[in-house]
Amino acid sequence: MENNVSAGLHALMTASHVALVWMATLYAIKIYQLMKKPGPPEKAELKGDRFAGAIYSLANVLMPWTMESTRKRLYFYAEFVVFHIAVILTITSTFTIPFAPWIMTPLVCTVTVVFQALAVLVGLRRIVRRIVTPEIRIISTVDDFFAVALLTTFFAVGTGAFFYLAQGKVDTPWMWAFFALVTFFIFYVPFSKISHYVLYPFGRVMYGQVFGGRGVLNQSKQNATWNP
Amino acid sequence: MTTSQEKANATEEAAAPEKLGAPEHREWDLKTEFTPEMLAEMEKLLPPKLNRIVATSLASCIHCGMCSDACHYSVSIPDDKRLVPAYKADRFRKWYKSRYDWMAKVFPWFVGAKPLTKELADEMYDLCWGGCTMCRRCTFNCPMGVDYGMLIRAVRGIMCQVGRVPANLQETVDAHYNYGNNMAVEQDEFVETIEWIEEELQDEDGCEKFTIPVDKKGAKFLLTLNPREPKYYPLTIQATAKFLNAAGISFTISSRYWDLTNYAMFNGIDPDAKLFAQWLFEEMERLEIEYLLAGECGHGYRGLRWEMPNWLGGVPYKITSVMELMAKVIEDGGIKLNKSVWDDKVFTYHDSCNIARSGGVTEEPRTVINATVNNFVDMEHNREDSFCCGGGGGALAMPEFAKRRIAAGKIKGDEIRATGANVVLQSCHNCTDQLKEICEHYKIDAKVMNLAEMVSEAIVL
Repeated sequence: MENNVSAGLHALMTASHVALVWMATLYAIKIYQLMKKPGPPEKAELKGDRFAGAIYSLANVLMPWTMESTRKRLYFYAEFVVFHIAVILTITSTFTIPFAPWIMTPLVCTVTVVFQALAVLVGLRRIVRRIVTPEIRIISTVDDFFAVALLTTFFAVGTGAFFYLAQGKVDTPWMWAFFALVTFFIFYVPFSKISHYVLYPFGRVMYGQVFGGRGVLNQSKQNATWNP
Repeated sequence: MTTSQEKANATEEAAAPEKLGAPEHREWDLKTEFTPEMLAEMEKLLPPKLNRIVATSLASCIHCGMCSDACHYSVSIPDDKRLVPAYKADRFRKWYKSRYDWMAKVFPWFVGAKPLTKELADEMYDLCWGGCTMCRRCTFNCPMGVDYGMLIRAVRGIMCQVGRVPANLQETVDAHYNYGNNMAVEQDEFVETIEWIEEELQDEDGCEKFTIPVDKKGAKFLLTLNPREPKYYPLTIQATAKFLNAAGISFTISSRYWDLTNYAMFNGIDPDAKLFAQWLFEEMERLEIEYLLAGECGHGYRGLRWEMPNWLGGVPYKITSVMELMAKVIEDGGIKLNKSVWDDKVFTYHDSCNIARSGGVTEEPRTVINATVNNFVDMEHNREDSFCCGGGGGALAMPEFAKRRIAAGKIKGDEIRATGANVVLQSCHNCTDQLKEICEHYKIDAKVMNLAEMVSEAIVL
């Protein structure tokens, strides 16, 4: 597949990967700034397991029944799953297209297109939801709208790029636009709410440690406080 | 050689009640408006409040809105969209972003950042004091793990530090600071009350030999109380003491520091919270006690069980609660209960947020209840999913927000009514008062009772 890539598109792909250094640097700064702050102490005699709590908390993304907010909104959760599968497939493809093109078989491309197309629909619905639901509208910022609009556009462009890729056509205007967006994303995301995935593990792990240690999560592991 | 005057002075000192509380008297400098000087001071106070949990919670909200129906305020008062947890926290977040968000340095409008102005501070005051009980139900429903309780406590601490704190709440903290308990109960008055309660207890059938020891060295448990008990609810102390005596448990109450409440958890002033915990620590050492025993009080339990060891850097004794102890004694067959005494009642149980969600005590109360009564119905949302009654976070000490507090209790009222219960059990005095008001306001024919009172009636001696 590499042979079908023009020098211009190849340069664009390379630029996107070089930009990763920028992104990694900014994320490293973000994480450093967070980690140098004092962490939550826990000197109390534990009733549960802080480590197990952290794992449980991290895994709750796969267990919608553990949180009332997802339990009550299974459709919303399904949208979230579809959207993020599309994110994973699309980001992975930005590496496999230039470095392991044999992975991008017509089947893989087609599956990616399907998830991207569904993600476009989810993205559009999320934009509408932010506009029409009063309690969501009043908490929404320009960043919130721009992030979902940008990703929706990204998936829409990806749908075109991967549709042609499935037919063996790599160097298309769609693919140019796709990698141009990838490059923009990498520069922009550290400043955007899209970078929430960097903070996600910190929030979930701290939550899991606190409430796991107190025996609220993983209740089967509770110990009585008078006989630890 | 000692003079007669010196002897007289020494006798007078020995007879005088001990000065409890902090050595110096304090009255917080309360302010009714935010001034530019106060806002400037708040800017200085912000960085030290940003520990890892607070900073992560401020930075990681994605405005998904999943918290919107997790909060008793937003559910009970649906017309006021400002009561959605993310909106309330955003009053603080906007300020935080204006200081720390990279994008906000260039385009503050893009991420909703706002510098701290009087208008923003006024909104923070309204929503973070009067629109949140720090119950953490939204935290449990947040995909990102945003800890709203810690976040709100941090911003409350900043506002309190500059004097913008509900007066009644701060007076409660100041009373604790000045007198050693939050209702300024004098030491001799307290001891007399305990003696009177002991006499009342001994008047009950089969309780003639029951005692409420004060300052007994080497007892196994140091029972701590909510000051509302000696002041307004002596029957709670009597019921607890009856249970402890019936179970043959060695316990005592300190004549000095016995208040387990810690309203500094609500105003966010850490040095005060630590000081109040330190006084109980000193009593544990003085009386050589093995277990610190929290009476039935929600935030008090959490303050002792989970926060005290952190404030003090660890403690050399164990900490538990009357609820847990009752469950243990019942499981071990340490007391006999006659369930039939309650057969004419239907019970439900309200999980206090600080006991269940933030405390990890969810099954023990049910063990006690199921061993004591035949008719128990859980509410739709229970254990860690329970809705706050609306009385937490110091809300009962903020009369300026009372109307909103009662309105926010509607969901709890609806759930109580749906159980058909005529007794609402709980283990927290703030919950007691709020639940009583809810039942009265929403015309629910139910009595509010704590666990010790329920158990006490059923004990077979």
